[in-house]
Amino acid sequence: MSPPPFAPPPPPVPFPAGGLAVTAWNWERERGDMSTCSVSKGCFVFKPSPKKRRVSPKTADYFREGNNDSEDSGLRFATCQSLWKQIKSETEQIQEELNKQLFDNLVSFLRRSHSEFQEKTTEWTCRMKSREIPTAALVLGVNVTDHDLTFKSLSEVLQNNITPYVALLQAKDCPGIKNLMQKLMGQLMNCYIDVDSSDEEDCVQVSQNRIRCSMASLISWYENITKKTDSETPSKKRTSSRHLQSPPVVVIFKDMESFTTKVLQDFLVISSQHIRELPLILIFGIATSPMIIHSLLPHSVSSLLCIELFQSLSCKEHLSTIIDKLLLTTQFAFKLSEKVLQVLINIFLYHDFSVQNFIKGFQLCIVEHFCSQPLSVLCCRLVEAKKRVNSLSHSQCENVRRLPSFRRYVESQVSEKQIALLTADNFLKEVIQKLLEDLHVYHENYVPVLRCLHVFTSSLPKYPLGKQIRELHCACLENRVWETEEYESSLQLARMLNKSDLVTMLQKCVEIFASSSGKEFDKVVEKLKEFLTQFQKLEVAGACQERGESVSSQKELQKKTDLYHLQKTLLELKESRRSKKLTKFEMLRFEVVDFIDNLVRNYLVPADHKTLHEIMYFNTASALREHLNAAPRIALHTALNNPYCYLKNRALKSDGGTISNKAPDICIVYKLHLECGRLINLVDWLEAFSTVVMAVEGPNAAASDQVDDIIHARFIRAVSELELLGFIKPSKQKTDHVARLTWGGC
Amino acid sequence: MPNLEHPAYPAATLLRLESLVPCRESQVSMLLSIFGERQQFTFPSIFIYGHTSSGKTYVMQTLLNTLQLPHVFVNCVEYFTSRLLLEEILIQLQNCSSETKHASHVLCDTFNDFVRMFKQAVTSQDLQDQTLYIVLDRAEQLREMEANILPAFLRLQELTDRNVTVVLLSEIVWELFRPSTGCFEPFTLYFPDYSIGHLQKILSHNHPPEYSADFYAAYINILLGVFYMVCRDLKELQHLAALNFSKYCEPVVRGEANERDTRKLWKNIEPHLKKAMQTVYLREISSSQWERLQRDDGEPGQLKGLSAHAHVELPYYSKFLLIAAYLASYNPVRTDKRFFLKHHGKIKKTNFMKKHEKTSNHLLGPKPFPLDRLLAILYSIVDNRVAPTANIFSQITSLVTLQLLSLVGHNDQLDGPRYKCTVSLDFIRAIARTVNFDIIKYLYDFL
Amino acid sequence: MSKRKSKESSSANGECISQVQRILRERFCHHHATGKPFGIEHQYRHLLELLKRTTVHGESNSALIIGPRGSGKTMLLNHVLKELMEIKQVRENLLEVHLNGLLQTNDKVALKEITRQLHLENVVGDKVFGSFAENLAFLLEALRKGDRTSSCPVLFILDEFDLFVHHKNQTLLYNLFDVSQSAQTPVTVIGLTCRQDILELLEKRVKSRFSHRQIYLMNSFDFKQYIKIFKEQLSLPAEFLDESFAQKWNNNVQHLSEDKTVQDMLQNLFHYSKDLRSLHLLLMLALSNVTVHHPLITASDLHEASKQYRMDSKANIVHGLSVLEICLIIAMKHLNDVYEGEPFNFQMVYNEFQKFMQRKAHCMYNFEKPVVMKAFEHLLQLELVKPIERPSVRAQREYLLMKLLLDNNQIMDALQAYPNCPTDVKQWATSSLSWL
Repeated sequence: MSPPPFAPPPPPVPFPAGGLAVTAWNWERERGDMSTCSVSKGCFVFKPSPKKRRVSPKTADYFREGNNDSEDSGLRFATCQSLWKQIKSETEQIQEELNKQLFDNLVSFLRRSHSEFQEKTTEWTCRMKSREIPTAALVLGVNVTDHDLTFKSLSEVLQNNITPYVALLQAKDCPGIKNLMQKLMGQLMNCYIDVDSSDEEDCVQVSQNRIRCSMASLISWYENITKKTDSETPSKKRTSSRHLQSPPVVVIFKDMESFTTKVLQDFLVISSQHIRELPLILIFGIATSPMIIHSLLPHSVSSLLCIELFQSLSCKEHLSTIIDKLLLTTQFAFKLSEKVLQVLINIFLYHDFSVQNFIKGFQLCIVEHFCSQPLSVLCCRLVEAKKRVNSLSHSQCENVRRLPSFRRYVESQVSEKQIALLTADNFLKEVIQKLLEDLHVYHENYVPVLRCLHVFTSSLPKYPLGKQIRELHCACLENRVWETEEYESSLQLARMLNKSDLVTMLQKCVEIFASSSGKEFDKVVEKLKEFLTQFQKLEVAGACQERGESVSSQKELQKKTDLYHLQKTLLELKESRRSKKLTKFEMLRFEVVDFIDNLVRNYLVPADHKTLHEIMYFNTASALREHLNAAPRIALHTALNNPYCYLKNRALKSDGGTISNKAPDICIVYKLHLECGRLINLVDWLEAFSTVVMAVEGPNAAASDQVDDIIHARFIRAVSELELLGFIKPSKQKTDHVARLTWGGC
Repeated sequence: MPNLEHPAYPAATLLRLESLVPCRESQVSMLLSIFGERQQFTFPSIFIYGHTSSGKTYVMQTLLNTLQLPHVFVNCVEYFTSRLLLEEILIQLQNCSSETKHASHVLCDTFNDFVRMFKQAVTSQDLQDQTLYIVLDRAEQLREMEANILPAFLRLQELTDRNVTVVLLSEIVWELFRPSTGCFEPFTLYFPDYSIGHLQKILSHNHPPEYSADFYAAYINILLGVFYMVCRDLKELQHLAALNFSKYCEPVVRGEANERDTRKLWKNIEPHLKKAMQTVYLREISSSQWERLQRDDGEPGQLKGLSAHAHVELPYYSKFLLIAAYLASYNPVRTDKRFFLKHHGKIKKTNFMKKHEKTSNHLLGPKPFPLDRLLAILYSIVDNRVAPTANIFSQITSLVTLQLLSLVGHNDQLDGPRYKCTVSLDFIRAIARTVNFDIIKYLYDFL
Repeated sequence: MSKRKSKESSSANGECISQVQRILRERFCHHHATGKPFGIEHQYRHLLELLKRTTVHGESNSALIIGPRGSGKTMLLNHVLKELMEIKQVRENLLEVHLNGLLQTNDKVALKEITRQLHLENVVGDKVFGSFAENLAFLLEALRKGDRTSSCPVLFILDEFDLFVHHKNQTLLYNLFDVSQSAQTPVTVIGLTCRQDILELLEKRVKSRFSHRQIYLMNSFDFKQYIKIFKEQLSLPAEFLDESFAQKWNNNVQHLSEDKTVQDMLQNLFHYSKDLRSLHLLLMLALSNVTVHHPLITASDLHEASKQYRMDSKANIVHGLSVLEICLIIAMKHLNDVYEGEPFNFQMVYNEFQKFMQRKAHCMYNFEKPVVMKAFEHLLQLELVKPIERPSVRAQREYLLMKLLLDNNQIMDALQAYPNCPTDVKQWATSSLSWL
């Protein structure tokens, strides 16, 4: 059935479930083609298809938990999913582009070394010089978590371009040369089966008689497989032509650092003896630096290798491309607020250089946002959002009204309009649509202007607003950038720029704006072009001395190091300017800078000044932080030291350093042990414990100084739990003591 | 030199043999006389030792092949378990019995089976009437295998009661093989290293066809002048010779010099070779890169060796963790107070500097330290406060996986794990510079 | 004519030579089969008696033949068996089982081997046995035909006896000794070992079942006998095809044995080890020089041989080192002198070397540290230097603690022999000036 383009907004429905059903239904009707619509189906109470039922309620439930009313949960989930899918594919694509260069180099290296390997040994030098194993030292940076992906794609590339025989080895699989050979041969034989699965009996036979994991058998395998490929049917020829003649065997050591010297040594020695029969090529995956090769292998072994170095793109650059493609674009409706972005970037820069983790964090943000923010249902493409607005339920409208940014907006309106906004849902919806549109436009304009500003700031001395665009972005998100003095100073500096720089920058800006999708930039472009032409005109001799002067001032700027001095000189210069009238060039320069300044003031308004920004922006950094940068020790400590904060039990509330006997035993034991030194006397500990526990039973209990068995047992259990947590351990010095492993021992 | 002679073999063969083994005639004749005639008994086991590339393997192979003595030749590094080794020997026996290479699968787990199957293999063919030689190259590996393997091989003749001789080749002296309870003593034979004259002779023996012999000889002479001090490995030298020869010829090719004026040639090649010692010889630059460099004669300086790329990009806190680890492993514990306490009162430099330690810690290497000390130092050297988050701890472990730290001793995580910092001073200084932290000020050795 | 004659003779001569070679090589290199026992008539009779009792009167028994390596344990046994075999009855029904500690490394293998040597594989087939004892019992049972007397005696010979001690619970030994005590099939167990303390190695229950018969072979002969042995070993048998040559040869041997220098040389060897094998080795070496042109062994041959034999292998290796490596060794020597043989690491050695370079090395350029490291690694590879602790996965190599496996005079001797060694290096070796 083809629905009317604008389904009439359903009447507000008192009970949520129905409302949910209806909205879901509506949405269903409109975009029935969507693949994830099944999820929304899950919201129907009737006609569930069995398979879906198992999946969807779960996911939807999570989203319900997000907030008490389950508005559009299914829909939100669906949106979330689709968004994430897009982003994922995007990132993967970026990954490939970034690795391309590196892989090309590697491939060419392999080709070259292999051809060298095959060149006729009649030539004198080849006969004289000893055969070395061609080896690529592949430096990938310390972000080990990202490596797997790289290797995966690498091996694919190799298998497509060079050879079907690629083996990936990991240190933990190869404690000894024996295991290494087994792993290696296993992988190679399988890949042989992959090459042509026509003859099953061969691979069966391979698997059946246990392979003598020796180089000899590997060589014989290689011999007869190459024989096969040479004497293969022309149909196969095509496939083999893609590979090299008698293709090399590529062995990739994923984590060089973790391999033991012995294993590598043996393997290299063995394979170097047979390099003539078995054209082997090694790839060392290195996280730290190629030095590891020398520190790992004795020279007698490393002299069997012919090592060449390959370095992957530094992960920082990688990150900035990712940010560029994911955040600084209007492609995705979902945005990160400044704090959240900061958290992610800090984790990246301070802890792990892992791009994957960054993306994971980003994913988490998405899920969190769609899960916690009911209105996030509107966080999608503009057209889509507008449609959805129509089908918003009453409670959703209420949610909108509750938004602080919306409140501000309402207050700014005239009174009758205020009433309309707060009462009439339909009117509200229209407004919302408008606002969303504004927001969209804002984004469209924001990005190019930001880039343009970056063009300027990134070329100033000392980078007052940061070198990377991400820093600039954060600054702009944080608050009105033009009110910061960094901005001031950078403008000052911009006013000192010499002509050529200025021109080039302007040209860049023109390009940026021209390429941007923003509507109202035509005028801007015009203006900029005009500036350029004017600069052209300035080719009169009149400008020369200022030029010289400005250059000299430029020189001065280079000399002046810290910002403070910089500004001083700037002021002085200003003064000097005041005295004598400005030249044409300077006038123009001021104009340009002012123009840019204008752009900034118009377009780089921080997002949280925008109405309804809550819909698009995820800004609960705290949640993110506790997810991604947890502090287990602290958490444990608070849990044990102040159980209330987790258990929320009144009885535990009374917490003035005193130990309440209501607390779980382990808490009591823990608190007591905090007061002890490195070694804890168990008997004293038990005493203290029992006194705490008995505290309620008044003096008579205290009188009987021998502890009763129940308490003893509880004590023992608690202590053993502590030991399990790794806070204490039995000590060897004294039998009746335990050693304390936590900090702050007196 | 004595030219070989032996009643058992035709003179022609012996001549060919002699031509094949320059500078090893005496050893060969020795071996010949020991082996005696084909069917005669000889030592049950012979242990040949000598330096790397002193021609042990080569001589044995050529000897056995040219005289067509029945033999088995196995490299013990390649067959790293006793089972593989024994099976390989048996397989080769089968092959040298019947030329048709039927790779029938032999299963041989123990030496007991080996002896039995060995007897069968030998009787199954015409080997009774002549001595069979089993050559085990890189024999030092035998020590890694089960304890009974080496002694059993030494007594193989007795155990199998066949006319077989086991020849062991190794770089290591026999004293280091002998098991504690002793064993059958083999006859040990030493292959002396090539003298410089020998090297000269052998290296210049096969000169490139397009150049005259003595031209090449002169080149070899220069080469040895540079490298003989550090390296006498024939293979290595030959490799180097092949790599650098083109450079040597350059002036001649350019026509700036003829093959006579050695002075000029020397001036051209000598610095180049010196360079080679620091680069190719250490495999800092791969041979192929080196050759490319020569082809489009670029200055070796422009191509950076592996060690040039020592710098490692690390996350901010990892850097500080590493620095802290370095300090912890090279400073005595007692000095921490002075270095890291803000107000460490008046610790007198005199009594603080106990100079009775005559050797600096940078001579003795890093000392292990507990986790707590590491963190304590970390907190004091990072100016803004660090929360002990999971990430910090995970960074420590990842530093260990990167081998920048190493976990010492039993890795029982519960009672404080102990670490060592395994990076060099230069490395850590480079790291410290990036976070502008003046590490030298904090190192006890440099006070 | 004369030429032909000479040729004639020479060819005949060649014939003789190869004969000589064959016979003597048999003797020297295959002695365990062919050699002749010396001065052990007593033990010989004892053992023979023992075995006779088993084989003829069907008594079970057990004995150990103990003696240092090369003292002729195997030879003794072989001879006894040879003689035993001359008795018809024995030849017919004595069953021998030869085991060797080097081959049967565990009892499972041993049992298989026993079965095989008793030709009982088909009898056993694929029966499954509860215990080792059962299995052995079954085997012996299978051997038994008719009553006790007529059941054929079994002779177990365990070479490298001491290795069987390490088998799990010494099950094999226990059972063998057990059956050798229980009066069923006549079983005799003969163990050959070079360990004097063998009895301490036996478990109590095993020991208690052992008859404690021990035959000791100390090659207890004085130098006079040694000379005699030397002569006998070298001289040709009477039944040599060419008497005249045999005559010549034996006379020559006689002369050699009287030659002073030869005697001194033998004296040395005698003091070095009485082990006949070393003598054989020596003679073999000398013999290998015998050719048509050089028909008789001379004193010089023997001296050559002994030189070859007494060569110090470590010195040889050191001789082959490069100057740089020698320098490192000297540096280590100094370190040893200073720190009284405390272990050292590469860093220290390098330091030491640097000092030397700075002070007084003009002969050679300053080497890069990696180059020195490479040299050091070569020493490591030759095991002239040995790391004291197992090199853990990741200790920096320059800080691994090492020990030098050469002593000072070895180094010094090597240096003396070292070809064109720079003078200041020599000086440095002798004087530890660098410490002033």
